[in-house]
Amino acid sequence: MTDLPDGVIVRRVLEGDPDAFGVLLSRYRDRMARFAVHMLGDRDEAEDALQEAFIRAYRSLRRCADPDRFDAWLFRIVVNRCRTAAARRARRARLVAGDAPAVGRAAAAPADPDGWREEIERALARLAPEQREAFLLKHVEELSYEEMARITGAGESALKMRVKRACERLRGLLRERQYV
Amino acid sequence: MSDLRGDELLERVVAELRRPVALSPDFDARVMAALEPPSPWTAPLRWLTRPRTVTVSPLGLLGAAACLAGLVVAGAALATRALRVLEPPPQVAVAPAPGPRAEVVRFVLAAPGARRVSVIGDFNDWDAEATPLRPAAAGVWVADVALPPGRHEYAFLIDGREWRADPIAPRAPANEYGVPNSVITVGARSS
Repeated sequence: MTDLPDGVIVRRVLEGDPDAFGVLLSRYRDRMARFAVHMLGDRDEAEDALQEAFIRAYRSLRRCADPDRFDAWLFRIVVNRCRTAAARRARRARLVAGDAPAVGRAAAAPADPDGWREEIERALARLAPEQREAFLLKHVEELSYEEMARITGAGESALKMRVKRACERLRGLLRERQYV
Repeated sequence: MSDLRGDELLERVVAELRRPVALSPDFDARVMAALEPPSPWTAPLRWLTRPRTVTVSPLGLLGAAACLAGLVVAGAALATRALRVLEPPPQVAVAPAPGPRAEVVRFVLAAPGARRVSVIGDFNDWDAEATPLRPAAAGVWVADVALPPGRHEYAFLIDGREWRADPIAPRAPANEYGVPNSVITVGARSS
């Protein structure tokens, strides 16, 4: 079943085979995890957001208008779960003094001898959230601006501007660190 | 599609960010355990709708046709009565499991020139297809949606692309993503 198209698997789940959802889960888990971890900068938070996103996708599967593009539909749910998690964290940070944002402090890879990955995570964390989101979707997940517009709800020209600003800011932040 | 050719620094950044990230080993098991089993009616329905090959004699065919005609007439009469009883109030969309304390909320947006408008929010998993608005007079779009008590974030989606906050509702304060959302609190009047 692992090589069947998304649309066929979605229909199997809808016909009463919940185990078929496991194929979609293993097909998209890693890609969605990568986005959520970089977006939230905290592995535990990302995992919670992702778990919630997959469960919501399963429960709402009947509302997936184009099962052959299940990935785009799932991405929209993951993006929204990440936004909700970030908003929840912001509210918590306002309530608890000294609770610094988690972004950039917990996503460093275990094997990062020269600290390069940590540098990148720190720079990502300093981007405005909408710029970070647009940069990740465009350059890491390699989505088109049209797909990004459908997923984020923002216009294509606004997204291009966010990506451009994110690139400029990242260049500035990382060069600054390299030459210090 | 990712065009960073010639920008060595950002190419290195992207290469690093594309590396896989590890989740807990039991992640898949936790997700799968949280999925509800299918409805008990699913298996019988699949059995009933499974394609079959049936062989009948001409006489048997006549009898079967007569039985079928009788069933169709009786079924149509019953279905008409049942529909009258079960039909929801006209034009009220229902968000998932609104519960007994749900309130019907009217969403209205003036969007002249739009071909389709939907309301998306926490209550429908931001699904553009779940809750369409219907065109009313002069570019005004309307939907009545039953919502459970609580705070809901939402926005309108015009022609499947343009995201717009509700001009007559408060904005969501925590929205830091450049996408405008609105807030409605159901049940606030009774508290």
